Order: sequence, then C-alpha cells, then structure tokens
Amino acid sequence: MQSKLSDIELIQQTLGGSQPAYADLVKRHQRFVFTLALRFTKSREDAEEVAQDCFIKAYRSLASFNAQAKFTTWLYSIVYTTSMTFLRKKRLDTDSIDDENTFIQVESRQSGYDVNNVENKSRSFYLNQAIGQLLPDDAAIITLFYKGEQSLEEIGNTLGMETNTVKVKLFRARQRLKERLERNLKGEVKELI
Amino acid sequence: MNNIEEKLWNYIDGNCSEPEQKEIAGLIERDEAFRMKYEELLSLNAEFSAIELDEPPMAFTYNVMEEIRAEHAQQPLKAAFNTRIIVGITSFFAITIVVLLGYILLSINWSAGSAGAENIPVSFKLPDLSKYITAPVVEGCLFFYVVLALFLFDTYLRRKNIAKHAQ
Repeated sequence: MQSKLSDIELIQQTLGGSQPAYADLVKRHQRFVFTLALRFTKSREDAEEVAQDCFIKAYRSLASFNAQAKFTTWLYSIVYTTSMTFLRKKRLDTDSIDDENTFIQVESRQSGYDVNNVENKSRSFYLNQAIGQLLPDDAAIITLFYKGEQSLEEIGNTLGMETNTVKVKLFRARQRLKERLERNLKGEVKELI
Repeated sequence: MNNIEEKLWNYIDGNCSEPEQKEIAGLIERDEAFRMKYEELLSLNAEFSAIELDEPPMAFTYNVMEEIRAEHAQQPLKAAFNTRIIVGITSFFAITIVVLLGYILLSINWSAGSAGAENIPVSFKLPDLSKYITAPVVEGCLFFYVVLALFLFDTYLRRKNIAKHAQ
C-alpha cells in the first residue's frame, strides 16, 4: 500500500533519515520513470538500469532539491540526463535514426500482420507500438505531456528547451505518432480511433 | 492544413488567446471540414491520453533500496563522521581552557610583586582541581589532542595534495 503523504513530506522524512519514506517515493513514481526511460532506451533491460540509476542519483542529491518546484519535474530531468548519458555511452546516436530505416523496421514487423487479428488486439497495443517507433525525444514529449501531468513549461525545464520549442516539438510528435499509427494499422486506423 | 491542425491542437490544449479561441470555435461551428478535423484530433487526443504506462519488474523498488543500503554500508568512516561533533568538542575544550586561564589571571594579586617585602609571601587562592584532574582525564585529553592534531594534519596534507594536482 502506498503512502498518502505528499512528495514533499516523504522527501522531508527521507532527509531526516527514513529509508522507508524513500521506498514509498520510488513506488509512487517508478512506473512513469521506467516508461520514460524505456522511451529513450527502447529496451526493458536498459530502461530498468537507467530508472534504477535515476532513483539512486535522486536519493544522493535529494538535499539539493528545491521544494518550490515540482518533485516530478526535477526527477524527470534526472531521467532525461541519465538516459542521454546512457545512450552516449552505448554510442547510440539518437539523432541519426533514419526515418527510412525505421520505416523498413515498421514494414518488416507488419509482414506477419493479420488483418483479422486487428480487432482482437487492444488499442493500447498499437499505440504503444507506434510510440516505440518514434524518435526518443518525440516519444518522451508525448509521454510527459499526456502521462506526466506536465505543462509545456515544465516539459521545457525537464528537457532543457524553450517552451515554444516544446510546443512545436509536441505538434510534430503528434503528427508523427498519427502517421505511425496509420502505417501500422493501414486502413484499420479509422475504425480504431 | 498544418496551420489548421496547429491551431486546432492549440485550441484543444487551451494554449491560445481568447480572441483566437472565439475565432476557432466559430470556424468549428460554421465550417464542416474544420469541424471534421477538430473531431478527428479530439479523438486522437483522447486516444493519446489513454496511453498505458509500462510496468517495471516486481523487485524494482527492492533493488533500488538494496543499492542505497549497500552504498550506505560502504561509506567510509571519515565521510560518515560528522564534523560538527569535532567542532563542538574543540569548542568545549577551548572554552574550558580560556575560562580557567581567565580565572587564574583574575585571582592573581598583581600588586603583590611591587608592594615590597611586607606583602611577601604572596597568597592567591587557586581552585582545587586536583580531584577533577585525575590521570585518566589527563590521558584522555592527551589522546584527544593527538587525534585532533593528526586529523588536522591529514586535512592539511590532503588540501596540499589537491592544490598540487589542480595546478
């Protein structure tokens, strides 16, 4: 059972030496941190490593957290920088993910595609599949906006971008996500959404 | 088309000014194509809002907390030692020494030396500390000062070393 205390109260208790309070904080945010890490790393094993690293880093520098800001914005910025460092270490140039290559990957995944199965599969399956095919930045912005309860300004703080840049990127990310969904579902997308 | 979509997304997100909002609301009402696009984006927005978060492994929290516990256990004694304790003890001894010296100096009859032979012998009363200053106390104090001196010497050497590497 998760604690009913606010993030700030749990942080204060943690700073006072209570490790169970931090465990509650981890339980509360682990799903989102893991998902966000997964958007960048594209692999569950790597996402687990990054997410774990994020919570340890957050614990170490908890005393430097400014309680005026939202804890989640601070935590997600740690996820972003940790993921970027992780990708750099793995020598994955995220910007060089070529659209054409991604499309080939998408098409090859669709080779075993059975139109009759479409109805049996849930909507979230196709949506998650489409998000997984987006560039890491696009996928992260979509996730932060829709599931992170973050405003454009807060997303800007998390990703180190101007609010207007985030607005433009969000618009483009939505367009790309829509295109991916349409490609994945071909004609079925109209029925699905 | 992009411009229309951009306007509509801003309208859906509530990121446009009041006049723009009124303008778009009017367009949705009057223009059939605009309304269809709006409905399409609205349903997409609902779809995106329903994205499911991925579940980390069952032992995720346990693993994080184990890592933190292990880190705490590995912490060297020097880092775990609170410097405020050192400062507190040092201050206590420094204050004690100053108070004792002050008391002794105030107890001395300074005119005794220059007053002539009739004032000899000079008598000043020292507090009887012999019952407090026992051998174990003196040894304890000496041990503490030795440790403190070593600690300060170590800090000095480390700083010197850091400064040398920084050059």
